Amino acid sequence: MPENSTPVIETPAEEPQVKKKRKSIGFYLASVWIFFVLFLATFGPWLPGPAWDESFYDSLGVSPFHHSHILGTTMDGYDMWAGLQHGARISIFVSLIAVLIGGSIGSFVGITAAYFRGKYDLIVTMIFNIMLSIPNLVLSLALLSVLAYSDEAHPASLARRVVVLIISLIIVIIPILGRIARGSALQWGSREFVLASKSMGSKNFFIIRKHILPNVAPAILAIGFLAVGSVIIVEGSLALLGIGIPGGASWGSMLANGRGNIEFSPHEVYLPALFIAFTVIAFNWFGDYVRVQLDKRESKI
Amino acid sequence: MNIARQFLRRLVPMIAIVVIATFLLSLLMRLLPGDPAAIMVPNSPQEVRDQIAHETGLDRGLLGYYWKWLSGVLTGHFGKYYLNGGSREISTVIKDTLPITLLLILYAQIVALVIAIPLGLVSAYKEGKRFDKIASAVLFTTVSFPGFALALIFSLIFAVKLGWVDPIGYVHPTENFGEHIKLMILPVMSLALGLASGYTRLLRTDVIATLKDDYVTMAASKGISNRRVLWRHVFRPSSTTLLTSAALNMGGLIGGTIVIETIFVIPGIGFEIFYSIGARQIVAMQTLIALIAIGYVFFNTMVDLLTQITDPRTRERRA
Repeated sequence: MPENSTPVIETPAEEPQVKKKRKSIGFYLASVWIFFVLFLATFGPWLPGPAWDESFYDSLGVSPFHHSHILGTTMDGYDMWAGLQHGARISIFVSLIAVLIGGSIGSFVGITAAYFRGKYDLIVTMIFNIMLSIPNLVLSLALLSVLAYSDEAHPASLARRVVVLIISLIIVIIPILGRIARGSALQWGSREFVLASKSMGSKNFFIIRKHILPNVAPAILAIGFLAVGSVIIVEGSLALLGIGIPGGASWGSMLANGRGNIEFSPHEVYLPALFIAFTVIAFNWFGDYVRVQLDKRESKI
Repeated sequence: MNIARQFLRRLVPMIAIVVIATFLLSLLMRLLPGDPAAIMVPNSPQEVRDQIAHETGLDRGLLGYYWKWLSGVLTGHFGKYYLNGGSREISTVIKDTLPITLLLILYAQIVALVIAIPLGLVSAYKEGKRFDKIASAVLFTTVSFPGFALALIFSLIFAVKLGWVDPIGYVHPTENFGEHIKLMILPVMSLALGLASGYTRLLRTDVIATLKDDYVTMAASKGISNRRVLWRHVFRPSSTTLLTSAALNMGGLIGGTIVIETIFVIPGIGFEIFYSIGARQIVAMQTLIALIAIGYVFFNTMVDLLTQITDPRTRERRA
């Protein structure tokens, strides 16, 4: 963006139209899909239907729209709809928890670094840069392969793998959101009202909580939604590489299992792939909507 | 002189980052429970394990191990894969696999730019018209479509259902160029589509801003054809952001190729990382991941430096 001034002056005439359009199609579709997926993830176990980890030996690899298996079954006889429901639980909750915790830690560190500056800021920036110097999939790959290490005799349990996966993803998320929070807090920290509050003798954490956090929050929220999308992608990639969650318990894991049967039961591949893609796209639309709203708010000031 | 100083100012933090990152990788590898040599070669006699531990420095403390690894990498001894039957030099593996990954990335970048440049220019030119609206909506969807989902759906449609290409495999370009291109189409497209969408959006925003510049109006009012104005007066200055972003993507793409190479069984460096993790080759894992990190940091620093040299506007703004 070489010349910032020109587009800013020109925007008011055309912006509302763009925003309205965004809200009407993409935003509603995204909201409906996110609501649907969250509903599945939360109430999945109480919905009627076959169990996700029960194999139906009388109907192996049936196509979608079967009378008792609405989305068909895998070649091993697992119900696809039940699998996707349970997969939503793992994929969505793993991503949400990782982004929530990682985002909170990252934001806290980032904001305090921007506020206090000095050596603390220098060290934090350095650590963020080091963590960002390894592409996030490679970093989570390395972390997971070490933390979830198990030999054939003592395979790690599903619960342990999920916990380790979440920890790895948290470590990946911290610098991404931390850097955004720091950058945003740097801008707000030098505003007049912060200086005024300081001169009135307010405590540092009071200023951060009262004056900086509310202003930085929308930016973090917008990137947070995008981060949920990328964490879902990382989870899927890790599962495809065989070191994520095993046994078809998450969407990525279903893909990894179904990949070998692509010729005989393609729905084993395209259904989880589309679920992942739609969810990522929906979170991105949502994040973009939040970002646009934020731009609007800021331009009013 | 000025450039040399700029370079030096970036070199120091760059080296610091690389050193700390690789040290942390060493630490991570040492966190593995049990005897690392036994993890690499499970069913081997104690003498073999001791020898491996001595060779890799795994018998020393963390600092000793890191120093052994670092001095090895600096002198070109990248370590070995330890297999039950013998060992394989990591450096020869890198020599075999890295060019394939770079080729894959290069193809993906070219395809992405070939799609993005005309699309970005036209949608910026027709800003707000139907073409732009449809293109924007489609691109916003494809930009966030995960590469591996795309790869699997592509191979389902084009390889399994239509049978146009083989779903997996790789042929060297020198062996059979036609076959090479044919096998690369699906992996390249899976990587390129997301990239192209990102590039198009970037270029569109830039071109829209440039189109409002006075000299563009001037050029148009002189009666120069639209096509010429678009290419010569608008595209040239708008392309800096696009090319910077394309260059910055190189590092991240190496991460992205891991999954794509694994899905399409392309023997590149990503596939090699996948293999070394599966085979629990600690030294190889550490070296390969470290190389990606080094390449990534180095590339980003270089791009940053180059943009400052080529585009004086960024230099002034920072000063």
